[in-house]
Amino acid sequence: MRKILAALLIGAAAAAGAGAAMAQDGPLRIEIDQGVIEPLPYAVPDFVPETPAASEYAAQIARVIAADLSGTGLFREVPASAHISKVTGFDSPVKYADWKAVNAQALITGAVSVNGNQLTVRFRGHDVFAEKELGTGLQFTGTTDGWRRMAHKVADAIYSRITGESGYFDSRVVYVSESGPKNDRRKRLAVMDYDGANVQYLTNSASIVLAPRFSPTGDRVLYTSYESGFPQIHVLDVGQVQRKVLSSGDGTMSFAPRFAPDGRTIVYSQTQGGNTDLFSMDINTGAKTRLTSAPSIETAPSFSPDGSQIVFESDRSGSQQLYVMPAGGGEARRISFGQGRYGTPVWSPRGDMIAFTKQNKGRFHIGVMRTDGSEERLLTASFLDEGPTWAPNGRVIMFTRESQGSAGRALLYSVDITGRNLKPVKTPDGASDPAWSPLQN
Amino acid sequence: MSGLKLAVAAVAVLGLAACSNNRWDDTANGGAGAGAGLGAGALDPASPAYFQQTIGDRVLFAVDQSTLSPAAQGILQGQARWLTQNADYVVTIEGHADEQGTREYNLALGARRANAAREYLISQGVAGHRMKVVSYGKERPLEICSEEACYAKNRRAVTVLAGGLTG
Amino acid sequence: MGWVVFGAWFPSEPLPSNVQQVALISAEQFEKLSQQRQAPQVAPEPAPLNEPAAVQPAPDPEPQADPEPEIARPEPVAPAAPDPQVTDRPEPQPEPDVPVELPSAAEEPEVASLVPQLRPETAPRPVDRVAPEPVAPPEPDTKIDDIVQPEVAPEEGAETEQDVQEATAREAANDRIVTEENEGEDVAASAAPAVSKRPKTRPARPKPEPEPQVTEAAQSAEPEQPAKTQQSDTSSAVADALAEALAGGADVVAPEPSGPPLTLGEKDALRVEVSRCWNVGSLSTDALKTTVVVSVSLAQDGKPDTGSIRMLSSTGGSSSAAKQAYEAARRAIIRCGVRGFQLPPEKYAQWRDIEMTFNPERMRIK
Repeated sequence: MRKILAALLIGAAAAAGAGAAMAQDGPLRIEIDQGVIEPLPYAVPDFVPETPAASEYAAQIARVIAADLSGTGLFREVPASAHISKVTGFDSPVKYADWKAVNAQALITGAVSVNGNQLTVRFRGHDVFAEKELGTGLQFTGTTDGWRRMAHKVADAIYSRITGESGYFDSRVVYVSESGPKNDRRKRLAVMDYDGANVQYLTNSASIVLAPRFSPTGDRVLYTSYESGFPQIHVLDVGQVQRKVLSSGDGTMSFAPRFAPDGRTIVYSQTQGGNTDLFSMDINTGAKTRLTSAPSIETAPSFSPDGSQIVFESDRSGSQQLYVMPAGGGEARRISFGQGRYGTPVWSPRGDMIAFTKQNKGRFHIGVMRTDGSEERLLTASFLDEGPTWAPNGRVIMFTRESQGSAGRALLYSVDITGRNLKPVKTPDGASDPAWSPLQN
Repeated sequence: MSGLKLAVAAVAVLGLAACSNNRWDDTANGGAGAGAGLGAGALDPASPAYFQQTIGDRVLFAVDQSTLSPAAQGILQGQARWLTQNADYVVTIEGHADEQGTREYNLALGARRANAAREYLISQGVAGHRMKVVSYGKERPLEICSEEACYAKNRRAVTVLAGGLTG
Repeated sequence: MGWVVFGAWFPSEPLPSNVQQVALISAEQFEKLSQQRQAPQVAPEPAPLNEPAAVQPAPDPEPQADPEPEIARPEPVAPAAPDPQVTDRPEPQPEPDVPVELPSAAEEPEVASLVPQLRPETAPRPVDRVAPEPVAPPEPDTKIDDIVQPEVAPEEGAETEQDVQEATAREAANDRIVTEENEGEDVAASAAPAVSKRPKTRPARPKPEPEPQVTEAAQSAEPEQPAKTQQSDTSSAVADALAEALAGGADVVAPEPSGPPLTLGEKDALRVEVSRCWNVGSLSTDALKTTVVVSVSLAQDGKPDTGSIRMLSSTGGSSSAAKQAYEAARRAIIRCGVRGFQLPPEKYAQWRDIEMTFNPERMRIK
């Protein structure tokens, strides 16, 4: 103990006396180009309840924040059992030394108050080793039944402050809920919070539904339904009670609908005489435009976030490959050249990458590449992975993984775009075809 | 010709086996079911059961292909004769794919297969307006194992009889 | 299963058995659903904290709440707390008896990460850490630390208290990101031999300087220390420490040695030390394109003066990306410098002021 103290004293003294030293040729310069990649340890003690009714939320909000942050794989929680000091007041001084001692590099403190059904959450992030606040403290106010969303918003703010990425926790996922055995599979549309909470069903399971997509504002969902006996495009206004069939034409199949960033145009596949091509439609006027006219399969389109281009898959070369063309149609440029087949391209919300499904040597992969096809990286490998969707910040991908064999079932998984942190997303039943919403307002 | 008979027999057996355990059994759709067996219905050449089990209501495809094999063409010739003789029926041809493919591509692939069957039937004299096509992609597998034995049976185009032209 | 000769045109009628009893969602349900979506009205933009929160006044007067507390803060510096278990390094002692339990809270989760099976939520990944060189998993009960330490136990019957050093090893790591896709390819990397443990010896440079705050700092570290063997009165420990340091500290009065420039090996050792704590794992892709130059002044014992750390410049990313990149660099310097960087004391003037360039180019996608 004494030596510890002595050494510390010496350190302080040396710093104090440093002014007397003779500097030699300016500072020493070194370059660090190697580091480590590991989760950042953080602590989020229970928030402080400031009104009696707040106590039930105070702990739960901290738990949701922790689940969000740890769930990214970029952070690792220092569990409460290891905490040295308790946070008893939101404005009490933070004992940084206690958090350093448990190697919590970031600390989140907060307070909750409830007034009627109004919930107010105040919070601060702290850089423990620098003994500084991470940005200024903030507060959210909302209704008590939105407490999970408020927790997600706090986590988004902290995540964003530490990583520099925008957040994605306050978002939803629309997907196809699946039940029943493989040869009697029942499908219905469902929507949930990104973390699997608050599942709600949007359709019944009387007819097959496939591949839903959120509108750019998250208020509508496009999907394919067999309600008429043929696959046709439906749009469901989640706020109103309206469903509408968009495509028509008895005996023609239309599927794979996606919104353009303008929220008014959609692009989709239509099959006539066994041949599948891409079309666009103004959903207000119903005016259609043919975008491709090749004897091959053209499907699974996805708009670039600026709306100027469409990436899609085609087997015009003899096997499924990825192509990019202008949003109004025109010459398409092939971007996938690796071994195997490429499908379901999805443009990232940041615009710099395209996620896809790849089939090669009997395995399925989720991968990403730059929009010109360079820097292809495969993130997963399994019996059957498909249908990637991007988190609103472009950092995480969710997809469908189906297990092999007679008892095989589909589940949702997510993975960081580095390929780290692959994990299942909890759903009450089987699940497929996830599509991420934008960040909620 | 013996090859054709073999194929027909095989397909008939397959259809029976499938419909005993399968909700999606295509033959259940307005056609013969397991209960019919090889009973009276199948013996009556004008019955849907005869169409499904004796002639064969489905053709199979190779991986990622929609070309008709000689065996498939034989079955379709039989279907065309039957449809010509039983002109009250309209049909929906359902195209299917195995699970080894992405969902939307498989929808398009199934449509290609169904259309290949339709085109062939047209070439054999069946009027185009009597035949619709629909694809289920990989959504309705008959067989559920993840092996080629099952996949081969799932890559199919099934001709499903429905009511008469007026109904 | 009966059959109908003339079924409906599109007769995908499901049989009644097994049908999920989910009625088509009613108007009310939909309304409720949409209310669910909209009702939890959460302000889209967070408000600054100082809005009247009824209960508490605005947080401004709080010294800790100061968004940018600059170096000259008059608060008690609390250098003792961060790492109660190590400061000085006495002779390594082979016998591992009388292990004093140290407050190593971080141990639990880290050990868990070495044993992926224990974390069901994680995919079967060998290790979720990527470091410059692969590190094989250490002995199961070894404490994980950024700095490899030999185990040190107190000398039996020694009259002065000694530091106790639990043996530590660096956390297991791969030298690149292992994804599901590439994990089979070159597993040898993760099975590489353990990095040699460098015993770190450095001549003690005692130098006395009374600082009353230390008492408080020491106390804050004390409660967690269940050290049965050496529970002593803190204030007398301070006094003893001072006396001891004063007695032995003749040489420190001399001007700081400057000595010849650092050798490449010495610079490299420093580089490696900082690398071990430079964690870019939680940085945005934008911040991973940002190179920052950071200056820091070290005390004579090799410890960074936290308040001296500054970002001199940044290239490649936005200013917010630069901020995140700088903060990661700052954490690296503070954390790995907590026991002092291993630098030749006779060349102090050569390394007192350092400019470190943190270039993440090679860390972007490992």
